[in-house]
Amino acid sequence: ERVSVQSRGCLLKEVHLNVTDLGLGYQTKEELIFRYCSGPCAEAETNYDKILNNLTHNKKLDKDTPSRTCCRPIAFDDDLSFLDDNVVYHTLKKHSARKCGCV
Amino acid sequence: MERKTMFLAALYVLLALLDVLSFAEENLRAGATRLDCVRASEQCLKEQACSTKYRTMRQCVSGGKESNFSVVASLEAKDECRSAIDALKQSPLYNCRCKRGMKKEKNCLRIYWGIYQTLQGNDFLEDSPYEPVNSRLSDIFRLAPILGEPAVARENNCLNAAKACNLNDTCKKYRSAYISPCTTRVSTAEVCNKRKCHKALRQFFDKVPPKHSYGMLFCSCPLRDQTACSERRRQTIVPVCSYEEKQKPNCLELQVTCKNNYICRSRLADFFANCQPEPRSLTGCLKENYADCLLAYSGLIGTVMTPNYLRSPKISVSPYCNCSNSGNNKDECDKFTEFFTENTCLRNAIQAFGNGTDVGVWQPMSPVQTTTSTTTPYQRNRERNPNTIDNHINTDPGIYHFCGSLQAQKLKSNSTVDGVFCVDPQIDGPSTSNAILRNSAVSRRPAAAASLLPPLLWLWYCTLHALSSPGDL
Repeated sequence: ERVSVQSRGCLLKEVHLNVTDLGLGYQTKEELIFRYCSGPCAEAETNYDKILNNLTHNKKLDKDTPSRTCCRPIAFDDDLSFLDDNVVYHTLKKHSARKCGCV
Repeated sequence: MERKTMFLAALYVLLALLDVLSFAEENLRAGATRLDCVRASEQCLKEQACSTKYRTMRQCVSGGKESNFSVVASLEAKDECRSAIDALKQSPLYNCRCKRGMKKEKNCLRIYWGIYQTLQGNDFLEDSPYEPVNSRLSDIFRLAPILGEPAVARENNCLNAAKACNLNDTCKKYRSAYISPCTTRVSTAEVCNKRKCHKALRQFFDKVPPKHSYGMLFCSCPLRDQTACSERRRQTIVPVCSYEEKQKPNCLELQVTCKNNYICRSRLADFFANCQPEPRSLTGCLKENYADCLLAYSGLIGTVMTPNYLRSPKISVSPYCNCSNSGNNKDECDKFTEFFTENTCLRNAIQAFGNGTDVGVWQPMSPVQTTTSTTTPYQRNRERNPNTIDNHINTDPGIYHFCGSLQAQKLKSNSTVDGVFCVDPQIDGPSTSNAILRNSAVSRRPAAAASLLPPLLWLWYCTLHALSSPGDL
């Protein structure tokens, strides 16, 4: 069924976090919704991916292992601003996904 | 007449009447009789007669500059100007208003101020060019459980409001949209691009639902806390960019600068109209509407008259200016600044929002007679009108006040409310009127036929009285 196929694919998910959870070194009590991309990209594979797969499997590329299709943000969420504990504003750009795709 | 036929006949007539009533109501609520100035001018320009008069008037104004036409050379021209203005008073332009954050707001305000002084005269106490919004603080509270969350009493409300904003996509977007330009240094000399910062701040307050924007701007802080919470509240608008200047100008000079900008001039007029203090009223406000005062105050943010909290134990706000170098105008300047710093109406409104109390705003009867020119009975009536949708005004005086103002409105405008009938409290039995009023409380969409019946009967009853004694109307 279509819905279940989609739900197994590359999807946008979200989690409610403290800004400090991001581990970027900010000291603040503010929070955010962090959205990320997750899920398999098997269906999106092209001949290019199959060839690479075969070549690495048959050890034809020496020790090189090129990266394969993966689930990544193809658009980012709006910026996020917050005030830290020292009353300084910060703005995060490209920190959270808006749209996902197998790229 | 037999009971049943009488009933059916009444039902038939009254269904039609109800239509008329709800139409009249809609008119009052939405101000449908009043166009926005952009549309009003478009409509005027489409009509040959109106557009000729409008063009003449504009020539008169630009020629005269100071709205009295002393500069216009001949008597003949003077007469022409006079007659053009008189004719325009009958056009939709005469009473047009603008909406905050509307498309073409600046254009609308330009048209408004272009005709204001000529048609309305008197620029001593300027009317607000903005359409009253009929909002209520309690509506904002009801929608905003942010501040009412449990265990909030001793917490940092301003922090909670900021958290809530960033969890809401719209608020988050517009918040960072102003914080970015307001905190980005453009050169060694300038901390930011003030113009961009102001514009983004105006957008934030025009586009973000008040429950979020007010939550951050009017959050309440415990008295003893003078740091974390209050400082966060003071920092909401990024004062280092939007508020502070290298030098503090004189407030009256700042006011002149403000009046040269359509948006600032309009927002200031709106603030003076909606936050007018009145010591004799329960709320401390002449207009007895906290929500309108807060809206007007927040509208000033992002103009040259941007106000902010002062670092003082009690709630006190001021634009970035003072009254030194006022010379002869010291008194006038002090009065101007006190409207910000010592304004009980504004202070009560901010506190009411912070505490989640909207006490006394919806008095059925106005305890204060309007003495200044800022409120017309027409506006007053329309402000109160939304009550009738709700249960707040089931008390008899309230409804009769509503009826009274409908009649007043009719007398004033002699249009729009034809077909609205009201009863005198003496005529109607209090018990019946009470029950009926609760239902009729003039709901927008009466849901079921059952709920329609009592108001219909009541209406019919009114109609009989009204028709038999037309003098009462």
